Amino acid sequence: MSNYWNQQSDRDTELNTLFQAYRAACPEAEPSANFMPEIWRRIEERQRSLFFLGRWARAFVTAAAVLSLGMAAYLYIPEGHNTMLSVESYVEAVAAGHVVDSPEFIDPEL
Amino acid sequence: MLVDFELIKRAQTGDSAAFNEVVLAYRKRTLGTIARLISRPEDVEDVAQEVFLRLYFSLDQLRTAEVFEPWLYRLTVNAAYDYLRKHRRRMESRMSDLSEQQVVLADAVAGGRVDHDVRQQRQVRETVDALLSAVSEADRILLTLKEVEGLSLKELEKIYRVNENALKVRLFRARQRVLKALGETGSESRGKGTAKAEI
Repeated sequence: MSNYWNQQSDRDTELNTLFQAYRAACPEAEPSANFMPEIWRRIEERQRSLFFLGRWARAFVTAAAVLSLGMAAYLYIPEGHNTMLSVESYVEAVAAGHVVDSPEFIDPEL
Repeated sequence: MLVDFELIKRAQTGDSAAFNEVVLAYRKRTLGTIARLISRPEDVEDVAQEVFLRLYFSLDQLRTAEVFEPWLYRLTVNAAYDYLRKHRRRMESRMSDLSEQQVVLADAVAGGRVDHDVRQQRQVRETVDALLSAVSEADRILLTLKEVEGLSLKELEKIYRVNENALKVRLFRARQRVLKALGETGSESRGKGTAKAEI
């Protein structure tokens, strides 16, 4: 058991040493001359694509709003039209039902 | 802090010159961190530029300039993590080519072209890279930040936004996995040594 812990402790020390050596072995990273211009190029590119995306989004929202209004108008107008139709048809229905020989209008004394 | 809070506040308002200054102040440190996190020198600059690009577009989300450094670390870690995930397959194939690289290195050494120190440093980098590639990207990044970058638990707490105990558990587990890989590498090399001795 103690052998296991000794091995574990040895490996721990070995790993710590390795990490320290790794830190020293990693070369200092120097940015190239193109580093800053490339960042700004990427920023501008992203801004441009965001701008176009924004324009597309706005166009889409406008189109959706226009379409919604159109659909609302379409639904509203036929509905009004239908009401008139239903009134007419109701009057027509009453008139059609108001026939002289209708049993309700026959005088019982007759 | 490498820059004063005022500069960060100015960069937050969209001041390009201030942002430029922030990048100039932090680019070397960021490049170094990324170099140790991804260990592919040819892609370090690309990942660093991605970090600063993310910084530019998310700077307005930073609530206080005081937390700028852990926040930049967080962006760095996320960019490195994305890179490592994207290039996992490439890294795996690279690890399978390691023996070939070692042969090339051995040839160079035999020809006396590589200095002893350079050779030793390269060997250390390859060993640690091989060990870290045996664990997950998350473990690799956490261990590199703690053991190689030398960040404290307090700093890691701010970057990972978890409490110290949870962080300790994650670090312990990550370390155990690396130790296991180290043990396996050790036993493999011992096995090879025995086989060579038998031959």
